[in-house]
Amino acid sequence: MRTRMPRVLACGATLALAASLAACGNGSGGGSSDDGRIHVLVYGDASNKVEKQMVDTFNKTSKVKAVLDTIPGADYQQKLQTIINTPQAPDIFFNWGGGSIQPFVKAGLLMPLDDFVKKDPNLDDKFLPSVYNSAVVEGKPYGIPMRGTQPVLLFSNKEVLDKAGVKQPATWDQLLAAVKQLKSEGVTPIALGGGDQWPTLMWFEYVYDRVAGPELFQKALSGDKDAWASADSKKALGMLKELVDTGAFGKNYDSVKYTNGASPALVAQGKAGFELMGSWYYAQQQQDAKDFAAKGLGYSTFPTIPGGKGDPSDVVGNTNNFYSVLKKTKHPEAVAEFLKLMYSDEFVKAQMAIGNLPTTTNTPKFLDTSASPEYSRFQYDLVAKAKSFQLSWDQAFPPSAMTPIHQTVQQFFNGQLDTDGFIKAMQALPTE
Amino acid sequence: MTTQLTSAPPTAAPGKARRRPEDSHTARGTRPGFLWALPATLFFALFALAPLVMVAVLSFMSWNGLGSPQFVGTDNWERILDDPVMINSIWLTLLLTALGVVIQTPLSIVLGVWAAGHQRNRAVLSAVYFVPLLLSATAVSVLWRALLDPNFGIPARMTWLFGDGNLFGEQATAIGVLAFVSTWQFTPFHTLIYQGAARAIPPVLYQAAAIDGAGRYRQFFHITLPQLRNSVITSMILMIVGGLTTFETVLILTQGGPGTDTTISAYYMYQKAFKGFDFGAGSAIALCLVVAATVVSLIVVRVSGYDKMRSDMEGVS
Amino acid sequence: MRHRPNYLAGAGSIVWLVLVGLPLYVMLAATLRTRQDYAKHGPVSFPRDFTLDNYTAAFDSGFGRYFLNTIVVTLCVVGVVLLLVPPLAYAIVRSRSRVTSQVFRLFLLGLAIPAQAVIVPMFYLISEAGLYDNLLGVILPTAAFCLPMSALILSGAMRDISPELFEAMTMDGASPRRMFFQLVVPLSRGGLSTIVVFSALQAWNGFLFPLVLTQSDSTKVITLGLYNFQTEHGVDIPGLLGAVTLSMVPVLLVYLFARRALVQGLMGMGGK
Repeated sequence: MRTRMPRVLACGATLALAASLAACGNGSGGGSSDDGRIHVLVYGDASNKVEKQMVDTFNKTSKVKAVLDTIPGADYQQKLQTIINTPQAPDIFFNWGGGSIQPFVKAGLLMPLDDFVKKDPNLDDKFLPSVYNSAVVEGKPYGIPMRGTQPVLLFSNKEVLDKAGVKQPATWDQLLAAVKQLKSEGVTPIALGGGDQWPTLMWFEYVYDRVAGPELFQKALSGDKDAWASADSKKALGMLKELVDTGAFGKNYDSVKYTNGASPALVAQGKAGFELMGSWYYAQQQQDAKDFAAKGLGYSTFPTIPGGKGDPSDVVGNTNNFYSVLKKTKHPEAVAEFLKLMYSDEFVKAQMAIGNLPTTTNTPKFLDTSASPEYSRFQYDLVAKAKSFQLSWDQAFPPSAMTPIHQTVQQFFNGQLDTDGFIKAMQALPTE
Repeated sequence: MTTQLTSAPPTAAPGKARRRPEDSHTARGTRPGFLWALPATLFFALFALAPLVMVAVLSFMSWNGLGSPQFVGTDNWERILDDPVMINSIWLTLLLTALGVVIQTPLSIVLGVWAAGHQRNRAVLSAVYFVPLLLSATAVSVLWRALLDPNFGIPARMTWLFGDGNLFGEQATAIGVLAFVSTWQFTPFHTLIYQGAARAIPPVLYQAAAIDGAGRYRQFFHITLPQLRNSVITSMILMIVGGLTTFETVLILTQGGPGTDTTISAYYMYQKAFKGFDFGAGSAIALCLVVAATVVSLIVVRVSGYDKMRSDMEGVS
Repeated sequence: MRHRPNYLAGAGSIVWLVLVGLPLYVMLAATLRTRQDYAKHGPVSFPRDFTLDNYTAAFDSGFGRYFLNTIVVTLCVVGVVLLLVPPLAYAIVRSRSRVTSQVFRLFLLGLAIPAQAVIVPMFYLISEAGLYDNLLGVILPTAAFCLPMSALILSGAMRDISPELFEAMTMDGASPRRMFFQLVVPLSRGGLSTIVVFSALQAWNGFLFPLVLTQSDSTKVITLGLYNFQTEHGVDIPGLLGAVTLSMVPVLLVYLFARRALVQGLMGMGGK
């Protein structure tokens, strides 16, 4: 049985309101998508500069004008979900690909972009496939990459490592040995912002990929509950448990946060040896500890796990952010034109200028213009060569699974859940 | 009706007590009728109760905010009443609320009575005390998270007290931090209530007591406290309701963690509705909270006789 | 007669001052230092690298416009509350009609409605009324959610008015309206300033309603502007706190002003 009760009720209740307030409106404001413009809705933060520039560039030539609306960061997804099925919905909106758009696709709200791609194959060919794929839902593309890629890397304090006679580890065993050595030197081997929960998750993502390959998680994501109970899954959990139990993260990691700068400060000040974090870490350190970022910050991909099924070139992290298009947009041609800007030279240059690393095929031309060319090139090659670029689990699953995932990884690290408890909790996650 | 604009209570205004239609039907004195409450009630009904009714309807539906809601009967209710996290969240909520009332009530009474004095230093200090109330929950949590950081904050300098400083990694200490930060944030407001009430106590009472030789502490317990009774009830209702519905502190300080150890009901509702987009279950939890808080405040009101306590303690009626 | 120094109270107030003051010090200190200084020396230390950049950055990010919007919202919310609540509280305290005591219960119920819970229906209500992305659409629900607490506080204050005064006015044949303006309002100035402070704060710090009910830059309020200091994965703590401090200043001024009004109101009472 289908009902439309809430809206019916809302209409009833608002009739009186509308009548009494009809005369009082102080200007109608923007917001509705039928005002002859395309509304582009993005997550509000420092990167908006480029999005604004793209909108301006677009408006110079286009008859249909675009307007940029920003939603202050923290509650972006909440607000988006509230408005997306209403007249206030935007035409184009920012998202994380994967699970973040899956419910919208299921509800039939989004426009598959294959028609756009047919007319302009560049809307596919100009982007790195490993990135482009994370906005493909049920075989159809739904998003165009629109910011920078953010693979997760293993960062370190070179000075601390040198002092302890430790090298950036290439294998898991080297990592374990480094942990022991650093511990005996009295530093926290690995800084972890466990208070934010998602940094803990990054360890699971890499160890699972290295041990079992990307297929295990893909299976789990498609609803195969047995994947979590497989031998590979248990092996990965055993290795993580061992790492935690040797004291790799110290004792108070759940009270440390990344988002208030505490865990990066541990590394920058030599109180910790390593930290596993997204590539934005470099920029964070440049802001907070300039000298360290220039001289002392080491980075590498995640160590390999000998005997594991995962390819050593695999990466995990945020592949990119994406623009998706609402089916009911009144200006599909204009929208397609706007999306084409996302592989333009101007776009790439502007993103590089604010420290983002775009994932278009013309990016290498501009790598030397980056503030830190060596670091940009390392990342770009990593992503371009990756056999698989696994989108973070909490983004790959639908939004309803995000909180349970965060809780579960935290509970496994602090011992509230054992291997079986973890498996059970992951099996209970909603996959659609 | 004459409009006589004097602020002092009038001494003489001849004429009969005119009854107006909206005025009370009681024989003794003229009292305002329901019409006085009508505008506020209508406004409130439209913007708060109407949405609440929709929430009640939603609690019987399955809806992720996108398609059309589907009617699912008592499904959501069965699910949440069967959910160990939900059951646990109720205990946590009650615990935090009780902690809030027990810590904040005495503290804000003492501070409020103290701040009611007219000395200049008290005025300056109470302005400082007031500042936490001005801060948004985000700022408060950012500040305390920074101050309580195990490596760079206070715990690092006071290891004799905090040990390894893993305040957010254990349930007991995490709850302690939440209770403390709420106290820090909300005590100023309750202090303000008590300060106003304490200033309103007629000085005559103290003068009489002083003549009888009552010391400061006897005056406090025999005059001040009894005179603050209404305010204590008001402030306690606010604390209880506030305690049952706060979630921002949890949201930013602990995110319900470690694990689900500080997932109180209001935060759980937020998670269900806005992280999980399960608006049906979220609405059911929200409704539980509204009912619980209303019942508790009605009990407080009833037990204390607050609703009967018009200005007629001496028996005007 | 009450002028002996009270050492216990003095000591207690100093302990509380430290508890309140330390975080405030951390905040102010952080706003005056660079990110590098903050990260390097930690929150509790003394700033070495003084800078005002955090404040200028806040201004550069469009705070002027947001300030103006927030002021409009706050004034209107306070106005609505002051218009609606005093008659309501008066009726709750003085009326003998059954209906009004039911009304009181209704508002007790309203006290417990979490704004989070009703935000989705509220969104429909406001957008159906054509008030989406309009400051009025923020003002109305914000004011509505201030009513229960304001009613409770103000009726508490009105209950403390001595019954003899009502009796005296009744004998003089005063109508409810005259009693309201000449007795109740002047004598509940303390309560009135509390609800002004309360509703102004709610409006000033309101986040959820503006977030969901507005969209464009021209209707953005300060609290939303603050969030732009938070990037997706990191926070510029000194920048964020600089913006917080700036956004706090007007409310602090209002409080100091309201406080004086409160004190004066009570002094007037003492003189009778």
